[in-house]
Amino acid sequence: MIEVLQLSKHYQGVPAVSDVDFCINKGEIVGLLGPNGAGKTTIMKMLTGFHFPSSGTVSIDSLDISEHSDSIKDKIGYLPENAPLYPELTVEEYLSFIAEVRLKDKKTNSGLDKKQAIIKVVKDCSLEEVYYKTIDTLSKGFRQRVGLAQAILHEPDILILDEPTTGLDPNQILEIRKLIVELGKRCTIILSTHILQEVEAVCTRVLILNHGRIVAQGSTQEIGNELRGAQIFELILPLESEKLIALLQKEIADLAISNQESTYGTALVYSLSLKKHSDTQTWAFQKRLFELAVKSNVPILGLRQINTSLEDVFTSLTSKQENKDE
Amino acid sequence: MSKVLILVKKELQFYGNSAVAYVVGLMFLLISSVYLFNIRQFVAQDQASLRAYFSIFPFLFSFIIPALTMRTWAEEQRNGTLEVLLTLPFKEIQLVLGKFLALVVLFGGLLVLTLPVPIMVSFLGHFDFGVIAGEYLGMFLLGMAEIALGIYISSLSKNQVVAFLLTTAIALVLTLIDQIGRFTELPGFVVLLLQYLSFGYHSESFIKGIVDSRDLVFFLTITAFFLFLNERQLVLKKWR
Repeated sequence: MIEVLQLSKHYQGVPAVSDVDFCINKGEIVGLLGPNGAGKTTIMKMLTGFHFPSSGTVSIDSLDISEHSDSIKDKIGYLPENAPLYPELTVEEYLSFIAEVRLKDKKTNSGLDKKQAIIKVVKDCSLEEVYYKTIDTLSKGFRQRVGLAQAILHEPDILILDEPTTGLDPNQILEIRKLIVELGKRCTIILSTHILQEVEAVCTRVLILNHGRIVAQGSTQEIGNELRGAQIFELILPLESEKLIALLQKEIADLAISNQESTYGTALVYSLSLKKHSDTQTWAFQKRLFELAVKSNVPILGLRQINTSLEDVFTSLTSKQENKDE
Repeated sequence: MSKVLILVKKELQFYGNSAVAYVVGLMFLLISSVYLFNIRQFVAQDQASLRAYFSIFPFLFSFIIPALTMRTWAEEQRNGTLEVLLTLPFKEIQLVLGKFLALVVLFGGLLVLTLPVPIMVSFLGHFDFGVIAGEYLGMFLLGMAEIALGIYISSLSKNQVVAFLLTTAIALVLTLIDQIGRFTELPGFVVLLLQYLSFGYHSESFIKGIVDSRDLVFFLTITAFFLFLNERQLVLKKWR
């Protein structure tokens, strides 16, 4: 449905997004995850046709965005970052403006006309109590919801939400997430966030971005398992301990070993990541590690179990890329 | 309802809810009336002509029109609402026309509010209403051209103040530029060129109540030219 090929965007020579490829199928809820400045917003601006790519292509339903931006605009609902609105208009004036433009002599997919669509969206986003108020006077939470109402009013096939929950309180965040999941049943959603829990709560697939590139992608479960399911150990061995490493790799399944950059002169630090299914398995691994060390006659200088939070892994994923770039 | 009109409606709702238009209108009516009755001593002049009244309009327009146009795109860019607007199913030219027409309506309303002056003074003598109609037509065309200029300048900046000052500067220069030829020794063709470019020069006949097709075409061309540039500017933003 959405195909992005070799997408790059430079702002006055400064690259914001470089060579990004991905494909999004109908009905998916995809999260763009990355630190601030990773290029999430830029990608969204290109998907909506607000900016055209410097190179590469974006096509939606096999239509190229820079050539068919008019027909593509009808398919997309877009909530830009910080939900920009007209402070001088009332919610009523704003939503009827959007409805008149979007649903001019046309009905939504479920057959609603302008008025019915507004009624529905006001109910879905719980805007009843502020409907006649000027946007100027609304709280951040209501503004965000008015912005969302604007994006979903015409029941678009594709919904693009740039940080839909920033600035909301925890209850509002839950409400909005619930609404997004609900919307995901009938449209494709792409949302950006820098909050990991958000991705887990609503997305079916994740693209992790850093410095304008995709550093990891996969289903939420895959990424989740990859990020959290692995138990990381830091193992310190003397120099010339390859024998033990080779044994470990041969004997223990589901174990990834990487030689860490830092060495303490006379010792090597390895990072072992074990796919974790249960704690007993971890203990069994530790037992086996000692047995093998004894067998190969390599003393273990240190073994530390590292508790990884989602944030840690995310940081390591995104900072690894930085090192590679430099 | 055409998409252009939908935008016109939204823009007018904005002006209705915000103080800008009221304040600008008040200032315009006040200064133009003070000029006519106090500075030019209209009653003491004892002439059945409103030329003095309309002669201040081009100068005042250089300030009040930029005040109305400055926010047009600058504010949309600063608020980020331009992003919403450009991703709604509008063509760029529809957006430009919508913004332009809303201001033309507003400006037309402002001219209507000056009608009490000619109506009031009409009881004092024998005024030629054909002349007054010509004067109004000229001022309307001049205003249209300056609105087109103003919204184009507004599309170049995120800052309203910059848009205001730049539009005022350009409008003032264009209004007064023909004066240079009057008191300096310039080659004939330069004087002609300056006259040709001058908003003030093209308003002169209108202010006398003469509708000259050359002036009419001039203002309409300027309007179309800046609307076209504005549309190009919006398209260009996408490639930046």
